[in-house]
Amino acid sequence: MNEIIETGQFSEKVFKIVVYAPRIARSRKPGHFIVLRTDENGERIPLTIADADVKKGTITLVVQKAGVSTTKLCNMKPGDKIADLVGPLGKATKIKKIGTVLACGGGVGIAPLLPIVEGFKKAGNRVISVLAGRSKELIILEDQIKKWSDEVIVMTDDGSYGHKGVVTVGAEEVIKREEVNECIVIGPTVMMKFTALLTKKYNIPTQASLNTVMVDGTGMCGACRVSVGGKTRFTCIDGPEFDAHQVDFDELILRLGGYKEEEKRAYNAYLENQNK
Amino acid sequence: MTDLSTSFFGLTLKNPVIAGSCSLTGNIDSIVELAKAKPGAIVLKSVFEEEIDLLYQKEQNSIYTQNLDPEYLNYFDYVIKEENLGKYLDLIQQAKKLVNVPIVASVSCITSNEWISYVKRFQDAGADAIELNLFIIPSDLKRTNEENERFYFESVRKVNEMVSIPVTLKVSYYFSNLAKMMKDLSSTGIAGITLFNRFYSPDINIEKEELTAGDVLSNSDEYLLPLRWTGILSSKVDCPIAATTGIHSAETAIKMILAGAGAVQIASTIYKEGPDVIGKIIKGIEEWMNRKSYKSIKDFKGKLAVHTEDITAYERVQFMKYFGNKDK
Amino acid sequence: MEDRKERRNQEWRKELRLKTKGKDRTSIPRAEMPMMDPLERVHYQDREVNTGLDLNTARQEATRCMDCVNPECVTGCPVNIDIPSFIKNIERGEILKAAGVLRETSALPAVCGRVCPQEKQCEAHCFYLKKLKKPAVAIGYLERFAADYEREHGVAEVPEIKKNGIKVAVVGSGPSSLSFAGSMVKKGYDVTVFEALHEIGGVLKYGIPEFRLPNDIVNSELENLEKLGVKFEKNFLVGRTSSFEDLKEEGFKGFYVASGAGLPRFMHIPGENFNGIMSSNEYLTRVNLMNAAKDEFDTPVFKGKRVVVVGGGNTAMDSVRTSKRLGADRSMIVYRRSMNEMPARLEEVKHAQDEGIEFNTLTNPIEYFADEKGHVSRVRVQKMELGEADVSGRRRPVPIEGSEYDIETDMVVVAVGVSPNPLVPSVLPDLKVSKRGTIEVNEETMQSSVPELFAGGDIVRGGATVILAMGDGRRAANGMDQYLTEKYGK
Repeated sequence: MNEIIETGQFSEKVFKIVVYAPRIARSRKPGHFIVLRTDENGERIPLTIADADVKKGTITLVVQKAGVSTTKLCNMKPGDKIADLVGPLGKATKIKKIGTVLACGGGVGIAPLLPIVEGFKKAGNRVISVLAGRSKELIILEDQIKKWSDEVIVMTDDGSYGHKGVVTVGAEEVIKREEVNECIVIGPTVMMKFTALLTKKYNIPTQASLNTVMVDGTGMCGACRVSVGGKTRFTCIDGPEFDAHQVDFDELILRLGGYKEEEKRAYNAYLENQNK
Repeated sequence: MTDLSTSFFGLTLKNPVIAGSCSLTGNIDSIVELAKAKPGAIVLKSVFEEEIDLLYQKEQNSIYTQNLDPEYLNYFDYVIKEENLGKYLDLIQQAKKLVNVPIVASVSCITSNEWISYVKRFQDAGADAIELNLFIIPSDLKRTNEENERFYFESVRKVNEMVSIPVTLKVSYYFSNLAKMMKDLSSTGIAGITLFNRFYSPDINIEKEELTAGDVLSNSDEYLLPLRWTGILSSKVDCPIAATTGIHSAETAIKMILAGAGAVQIASTIYKEGPDVIGKIIKGIEEWMNRKSYKSIKDFKGKLAVHTEDITAYERVQFMKYFGNKDK
Repeated sequence: MEDRKERRNQEWRKELRLKTKGKDRTSIPRAEMPMMDPLERVHYQDREVNTGLDLNTARQEATRCMDCVNPECVTGCPVNIDIPSFIKNIERGEILKAAGVLRETSALPAVCGRVCPQEKQCEAHCFYLKKLKKPAVAIGYLERFAADYEREHGVAEVPEIKKNGIKVAVVGSGPSSLSFAGSMVKKGYDVTVFEALHEIGGVLKYGIPEFRLPNDIVNSELENLEKLGVKFEKNFLVGRTSSFEDLKEEGFKGFYVASGAGLPRFMHIPGENFNGIMSSNEYLTRVNLMNAAKDEFDTPVFKGKRVVVVGGGNTAMDSVRTSKRLGADRSMIVYRRSMNEMPARLEEVKHAQDEGIEFNTLTNPIEYFADEKGHVSRVRVQKMELGEADVSGRRRPVPIEGSEYDIETDMVVVAVGVSPNPLVPSVLPDLKVSKRGTIEVNEETMQSSVPELFAGGDIVRGGATVILAMGDGRRAANGMDQYLTEKYGK
């Protein structure tokens, strides 16, 4: 049982949850994620570790309300206990001193980007972060990202904050004006797909942190499988980061919709229950 | 400046000298060595269906495997297949990363089902083109020519459906209707045909009274067969032709181009003389072109190709003339 | 403990043998296992198919056993349980003593009685089968009976254990780990079992469905272990949550790695990544571990109406029978060899046939097709014929050219085997591991190339049986005990 120490809200649907998990706080590195179950009937869901405090023994998760499980989690309060939480899972980000790093975060993907940006900056790189979201409200953690970036560009679809446009517009601007040695992109799958197509044009090595359907998260079931460079890889043990130019994004997008019907049904049933 | 560029594998190659599929193109270290000599392209060692089978048999025979649970072993051949395919995909990726030369993945199979599906994964791994190394040695007493021919067309059709990168064929000369087959195959949308495959040849040791293997490497006059057919076919088929077997010098390479080949594939001579021979042949072609004042490959490609409609009659006349003259 | 021969010569055994004449014994027909009606049981994922023998039937079946001088059944058992001893105790009515005999060798007799392939092990060597060409003594049914009886009537006496204070860690909580833990705790060690998932039991919980092995049985065994002092920590990945070094700093002196072979295998044929196609591990984990078939649980599972399961082992049987229970109109097995070559337990195959599972043998999938939404709609299969035998004696399946046809399907479960879990080898570069990912160990002591690390079960054997895994656990306990005694004294 892991106790929730603190909660916060970034926007209507995006929440911050700080959980007591001292061992994980100690072992985790940027790029790692955890899998949790809110209660005995809950689903196991993967969430990237956005931050950790080793002294306090806590890890920070940033969650977007999207279905039953995430809604249950976002409705929990400090003092509540999460039934099961396991980690750190996945392979840590390969952080090295390489020159200039372009970090692109979309929506709630900005949260897992934060520790990576911090890692690259600490390793001595020049870090340019492009944060994207549909509107001002969905741009999260801007100040925290600024702390670890040489420059931050904000893009919003509706122009309500920063520049108007999608993430690739901001990214291409950077690429055209200076040499970029590596790119990291985390966000909605479609966003990662198009960012990868952009960086491929310019031959910039790019890592994408993939979000997939998961059941156990420890390499047991294969639900998280993706095709990378013609091979089948498991996101939970080989990833979550992969060479973005080799990922079959179209297949990934297809697989993400695999349980859409069931998820919708479950969410509606959950809301009905709540309203009783 | 002499322009040695040419078109094959659906790509523009910097020169017509291609390192063909052989064991030297099967591991990353020697691929890097070959690439230093700047060939027009490198064809990776062909993935053979039977080789995977043999690897599986070998593993099955090992003590370790014999102690394993039957349920665990039930579909073990798929594990071995996937592992070996994985190694090949790694090779494609590494080659693309480390060298600056077009990389062509090659697969050879005789049953046209799942093996064909691997080509999509070669594409995903970054291959620039595919070479289908299809050859049926017609030694099966039960197999008809129709079955054999259908195999070629089926394979090409399936592969064309699966990938968007260019697909070429490397074939054998065992066709009773070679010209028609090549013409028909060339119009299926493939990006080139390479003439011809070279086979393992059995030989006999009369002292031991045993079967042995013939020389694995080609000797210099084996080029005459592909030369003739390049000459006959190049002006008539709908895709570029490449010639292979017995090309050991710039002179032979030039002969092939004069006969109409867009490129040549070499292998045996690299074994015999090392990767430097690639540079030597390229230089030799260049020097000859300068001497003859040819600015580009297309200036002399196919100059001596046979354009006569009725080749058979032409050949028979040449044969009669040749032997007729000999008598005098 | 007396050895088998000594026991056979005990007075009560001699009397029992004389009590019934040989031909009276051999004239008793083999007991039939009462089962739930097939048409009824296909509606219940969590009701056991076999309902168990009653006392009288068990004693009668036990009477069939001839108490052979050289019992071959013992040789056939992978852990050499003293089979005649436990059976004769049943015959004379001492069921708890029978259970005691089982427990000397097997940590989980209630499990083995249900899942062991007796037809390939003990029963295959029975005198009845080999000499009389009659059905073997139902050793499996009797083992189950004794174990169940003990659970229902036995008073688990917690023996006096002299603790030695030495801490040992166990990685994984499946049958091998449980067997090791049970042995070690009785030897006085301080045992902690670390499990990555949120449920203890490994494959016994997530893999084998409740209609074959009820969770209650497993939980009862876990309770026994807890009573003996074994500690369990869930949601803990040894090597990640804490490293081996971290655990050593916390005082752990020995490690038993039994993390299993849970990595699913696929065939890598075109279309295998379409929605609706999953590994048997995923399917069974959703249904057995996450209770996905029940509405009150959040985890979804696709309930196919025309389900194809590829494979012929126990996992394939479990998957296809589960799909039937989840409401499939057609549940089909597609297996590339013939019925004779299926590695699944005979009883499972028989039960599956009774439940209406369709068996398409000598058939192999080569490609999957999907609808516009990317969900599987058909599988193209090819007929096979059996060619020459390979070195293991099994005939190779050879595709028949031109025999392809399509099967309509809305869900496919790929049950073609599993591979060793890669986690522990990946965090311990010094650990000697085979090309295939299995940990290499000394066959006697189960010690690996890292002296304080022992291993057993599927992580050493590749996927194998529960009984072998448990045997490894016992051997490793003896091996580690010896190693720790030499190193630290007691």
